[in-house]
Amino acid sequence: MKALTANRLTDGEVVFWKQGQWLDRFADAELFDDEAVAEAAEAHAKTQVTLLVEPYLIDVAEVEGGVAPVSYRERLRALGPTNKPEHGKQAQGGAQIEILAHAHGAASSKGRIDLIKRK
Amino acid sequence: MYRYDDIDQAMLTDRAAEFREQCRRRLAGEITEDQFKPIRLMNGLYLQLHAYMLRIAIPYGALNSAKLRKLAWVASTYDRGYGHFTTRTNLQLHWIKLKDAPDILDALAGVGLHAIQTSGNCIRNLTADPHAGATADEADDPRVWAEAIRQWSTFHPEFSFLPRKFKIAVTGATRDRAAIRIYDIGLRLHRAADGELAFEVLAGGGLGRIPFLGPTIRERLPARHLLSYLQAILRVYNRLGRRDNIWKARIKVLVATLGAEEFARQVDEEWEASDKAAVDLPDTELARIRAGFAPVGFETLPPVSAAFETAKLDDRAFARFARHNITAHKQPGYALIDVSLKAIGETPGDCSAEQMEVIANLAERYSLDEARVTYEQNLILPHVKLDDAPAVYRLLADADLATPNIGLISDIIACPGLDYCALANARAIPIAQDIARRFESPELAEKIGELKIKISGCINACGHHHVGHIGILGVDKKGEEFYQLTLGGSGEDDASIGQSLGPALPAERVAPAIDQLVEVYLRERTTGERFIDTYRRAGLAPFKEAVYAEAH
Amino acid sequence: MPKLIRWRGDRAEAVEDPFTSIDDDQVIPQGDVIISLRRFQSEGAFLLGQCRQVGVRLAADETPEALDADLARIAVVALVFPKFRDGRAFSAASILRDRLGYQGEVRAVGDVLLEQAKFMVRCGFDSFEPADGATPGQWTAAAHRFRHVYQRAADGLEPVFVERATGHETPG
Ligand code: SF4
Repeated sequence: MKALTANRLTDGEVVFWKQGQWLDRFADAELFDDEAVAEAAEAHAKTQVTLLVEPYLIDVAEVEGGVAPVSYRERLRALGPTNKPEHGKQAQGGAQIEILAHAHGAASSKGRIDLIKRK
Repeated sequence: MYRYDDIDQAMLTDRAAEFREQCRRRLAGEITEDQFKPIRLMNGLYLQLHAYMLRIAIPYGALNSAKLRKLAWVASTYDRGYGHFTTRTNLQLHWIKLKDAPDILDALAGVGLHAIQTSGNCIRNLTADPHAGATADEADDPRVWAEAIRQWSTFHPEFSFLPRKFKIAVTGATRDRAAIRIYDIGLRLHRAADGELAFEVLAGGGLGRIPFLGPTIRERLPARHLLSYLQAILRVYNRLGRRDNIWKARIKVLVATLGAEEFARQVDEEWEASDKAAVDLPDTELARIRAGFAPVGFETLPPVSAAFETAKLDDRAFARFARHNITAHKQPGYALIDVSLKAIGETPGDCSAEQMEVIANLAERYSLDEARVTYEQNLILPHVKLDDAPAVYRLLADADLATPNIGLISDIIACPGLDYCALANARAIPIAQDIARRFESPELAEKIGELKIKISGCINACGHHHVGHIGILGVDKKGEEFYQLTLGGSGEDDASIGQSLGPALPAERVAPAIDQLVEVYLRERTTGERFIDTYRRAGLAPFKEAVYAEAH
Repeated sequence: MPKLIRWRGDRAEAVEDPFTSIDDDQVIPQGDVIISLRRFQSEGAFLLGQCRQVGVRLAADETPEALDADLARIAVVALVFPKFRDGRAFSAASILRDRLGYQGEVRAVGDVLLEQAKFMVRCGFDSFEPADGATPGQWTAAAHRFRHVYQRAADGLEPVFVERATGHETPG
């Protein structure tokens, strides 16, 4: 399963794709079972240059209670910094945030590594 | 301290205007992200995990109340009410919006602050001895020279696209408080036997994937030739530094490849061929800069303060604070006071807007309007009367800024790590918090004595882990956070690169491992030995055994 | 002929480029040409004898010192920016102007971007083939964005320490 994410150009906020819209919460993200559909959405996102920076697909998996990004880094992006629970998306709290916060398992996120190299 | 004149000020305003226009073009879609990224980076604006991060330069770590107040205002107006002081003595704001960045730069320019050259492959913000101008062991005030370098390196037309970033540290003291051996160029001022003011020049130090301590390439450079000699070093590096491999592009690799002697020879050759007079500052300009750092406002006081001595006897907590956070000043009756940004359980280097205000007020009222940032992520009030120290202590304590732990086990350096940084492999902050909590007892910390723990979230080593007595490096093992420990590093006079202790540990094993290392030290140490001394005498084996015993 | 930006006095203007830049595997046509250092070393003397202007293109890892003896006869030195981040040509231009006293045209070619205009002009480049389509107007504005300079460079501008000494500004 995949989801499409990016940072919003104007404020850097982490956003997720849902049927043509960009929303703040991972809980709202559209989940792609079909790679081709996911890639088409990504290709479209890459043309939205005045809206986004660096859109990329992330792996998503089922976890206890719901779904969560596979990589630890992506879960942090969907939550906020662990040293300041009052900042970032996690501040809203709620069941969806709890699911993310308690998800286990991990993998590196390739999207970001790309970012590093081009720096 | 040096105040920017109309010209310095105009440079900042022009730069802010330029960036405003560049942001406008990006937001309007006239330039692509690929074109814009290097531009915003040159203005210290990174895209991190959760938002943009603005890295504000604090040249040679020098602050005053106006600057601190403006930083506090920016942090609460445009960010979430706090900032993070880094090992480069910069301040990072983690929650910046691109659309606000031009306004922020304008606001900062108003008090002589900026984000110029805090990123990119150029000469970065300078660091210097935070005790400059206040310490007795100083041949000359390094800030004079640091300011000269700041001006010379700002928008340098030849050296703004180097093979890689370039960092310079300056000290004028015999004791190294600026970690000059871990920088691309380290400079130490000294007076030669004949009275000439000279620099010892080190080149090719640096941490990161391949750590090196910088060798001395010139023992005695007449101080007045500093800029022409720097130009020669930079030119040799710009022409010969590797550009095919980002991991080998720092000057340390060039110096190591050529050998320090051959590198020095090429620099000399370039230097001799150059028109030194065109580059070196005229004496009048140096004198003008120097005047900006002339001590003002010191009173003639007896060296011993009755109020200070009485307070130490009356209040054990203050006595402890005095032991660890107060240092002798060259001026009788004055002291330097370390403001700890390492309250137990807090994020190392973080400072809230309210705390910045408190420090601004204290600097203004008690420290001749000066404050300094140290590379160990603390602040210093450099010119406090001993008579005032108890009052300053109380006000700091009220703001949670008086943890008596400078140089002790809970005075941990930690980079932002994976909580914020897009390059990170693992988090650094929670590890620091875990360790600090474990050694919360001030009695225990004092018993352990000097122990420097330094944590980086990736091999870029912003947390200086290679030169920690205990270094901790976050690594990514199949996507999980693991930590590689090193022992025996030091960034100061006895500089050395730490040695790996063994296989990386999972996060929850790190703080217990520090406990085990400390136990070995307490068991093995002989009188007067610091942790690092015991390690150097006893070697890695007893420490390794303690941490990895269960695995056997 | 393709357009080129020339720096004249204190501003950029569009001019016709009289030179043709020739790759090593191309036959050299009539007229003024810019060729590689390698080709210049083998064919330079012959071409210079033909009553035409000859320019030399230096790759980023080639040094202007290699041209020293011939500089007076070379009309253009074109310095290549393989990527805009590769700043070796800034040193090469500075050396050409300040050390070797070269008076001819110093041209920036390759990944030449508007954002570098001020650095290039300062280092002594006086012609540009912008890769981003920058116009002469933009180029002039970018080069003049700062009212002061902190260092001496090939453009001969008065650095701030001279400005200060001559008292144009109040000391801080
Ligand atoms: S060391 Fe790595 S993780 Fe830490 S701030 Fe530097 S780049 Fe980021």
